Amino acid sequence: MTLDISFSLNGAEVVVGVRPHQRLLDVLRRTLGMTGTKEGCGEGECGACTVLVDGRVVNACLYPALEIEGRSVTTIEGLLGADHQLSPLQESLVARGAIQCGFCSPGVILSAHALLDRNPNPSDAEIRDALVGNLCRCTGYVQIVEAVQEAADRLGSESDV
Amino acid sequence: MKTLAYHRPKSLDEVFDLMASSEDAAYIAGGTDLLVSGGASPPTLISLRSVPELMGVDETRIGAATPVADVARHPGLAASHPVLVAAARRLGSEQIRNVATVGGNLCRAAPCADLAPPLLVLEARAEIVGRGGTREVPIDEFFAGPGETVLAPGEVLAAVRLDPPRTGAQGRFLKKGRVRMDLAIASVALLVEAEGGRCRRIRIAAGSVAPTPLRLQPVEALLEGAELTDEILEEAAALAAATVRPITDVRSTESYRRRIVGVYVKRGVAQALAGGEA
Ligand SMILES: Cc1cc2nc3c(=O)[nH]c(=O)nc-3n(C[C@H](O)[C@H](O)[C@H](O)COP(=O)(O)OP(=O)(O)OC[C@H]3O[C@@H](n4cnc5c(N)ncnc54)[C@H](O)[C@@H]3O)c2cc1C
Ligand code: FES
Ligand code: FES
Repeated sequence: MTLDISFSLNGAEVVVGVRPHQRLLDVLRRTLGMTGTKEGCGEGECGACTVLVDGRVVNACLYPALEIEGRSVTTIEGLLGADHQLSPLQESLVARGAIQCGFCSPGVILSAHALLDRNPNPSDAEIRDALVGNLCRCTGYVQIVEAVQEAADRLGSESDV
Repeated sequence: MKTLAYHRPKSLDEVFDLMASSEDAAYIAGGTDLLVSGGASPPTLISLRSVPELMGVDETRIGAATPVADVARHPGLAASHPVLVAAARRLGSEQIRNVATVGGNLCRAAPCADLAPPLLVLEARAEIVGRGGTREVPIDEFFAGPGETVLAPGEVLAAVRLDPPRTGAQGRFLKKGRVRMDLAIASVALLVEAEGGRCRRIRIAAGSVAPTPLRLQPVEALLEGAELTDEILEEAAALAAATVRPITDVRSTESYRRRIVGVYVKRGVAQALAGGEA
């Protein structure tokens, strides 16, 4: 049984056929071919599948696709500017060596993005807490935390002027 | 087994109609337990995410479908029942808290459910609805065993009800995991009322140390009315360690769990007396 559902994906309305057992992750990667969202564990532990639903981070591997009807989804592809410009957060991550193999990066970026949206001036502990659900096997996290702090500082000083 | 039907009812009546017309259906809320455990999901799922009767959160009633994140970030609850908010903040990751529900945490009835110890010390009540109407059960009587509750087949946990905060009560939640995002190896929640160093009233509960989340009544009885000296807290720690019934499993050992619970009872009381954030 396939049901057609509509939702907003990175600002555009889409309609997709979904089967009851499918996860949001399957719809994004297989049905829509949006492979920026990764699958690591499939059990909510690693955060490689992190996307935003109505502005909040969720694990796409644990999100029943049918529940997405009428909601608004942002994936890593949705953060790309019109001129393919990286965001200040993404630039900081690159500059600080916080991206190595890159498998965790889409999830890390979306988690940090959601944090800075609700708390533009996070402490070190708040950054670490926001990234608890994003495992990185390469960087050791220090570079990631520093990069998010740097992005917060940069964004803060930009909005001051 | 793959899920063959996924229903999204918009009212409790519709929920009960769907449950009555299906033999193999199960409820799903956030799905963060159901979709992980083993992969064999029930053939028919009835989602509780869009049922208005299960929504809404304030200082007296928390709808079962409330995401844990909405408790963790609720300013009213942080002021009225900080021990519950402290536990909500320690549950899983931001991603998990945004979808995991309060009702799912309790209905899964895991010994490690992080919201259970604070709700036990707050003496909260479970509002249960079925076809026949609504009943209220003290949280203390809600858990029947590992993975088992007093819910009858088809019944739904609608909400958790909270009494107004008691004046002068100081709460604490302490949780031990291997890493920050982990199920508890052991956890302790407590709520102390003390005056001039003497304990007037205390409620203590522990997680991951018995088949169900557990109130530690013998320890409460030892401390109530007593002067909270180092000696009596040592005694309370030993009694707590002896009262719990932990097991050895992949996460930890029986003896370590007993120790941690003792240490946390002592530390929790000391921290509560010192004041500050739960
Ligand atoms: C990576 C990860 C980390 C986690 N970390 C923690 C942690 O630190 N602490 C912790 O306590 N838990 C943790 N969990 C477990 C889980 O997230 C929580 O127990 C969560 O609160 C479950 O809620 P849910 O809505 O997702 O439940 P679901 O999976 O939707 O449901 C769980 C069970 O309860 C039943 N149910 C749900 N709602 C109702 C209702 N209203 N009435 C009747 N039955 C109902 C369902 O039928 C099902 O059997 C973690 C899980 C994952 C995947
Ligand atoms: S793939 Fe979803 S959390 Fe690992
Ligand atoms: S950069 Fe390789 S997992 Fe994070």
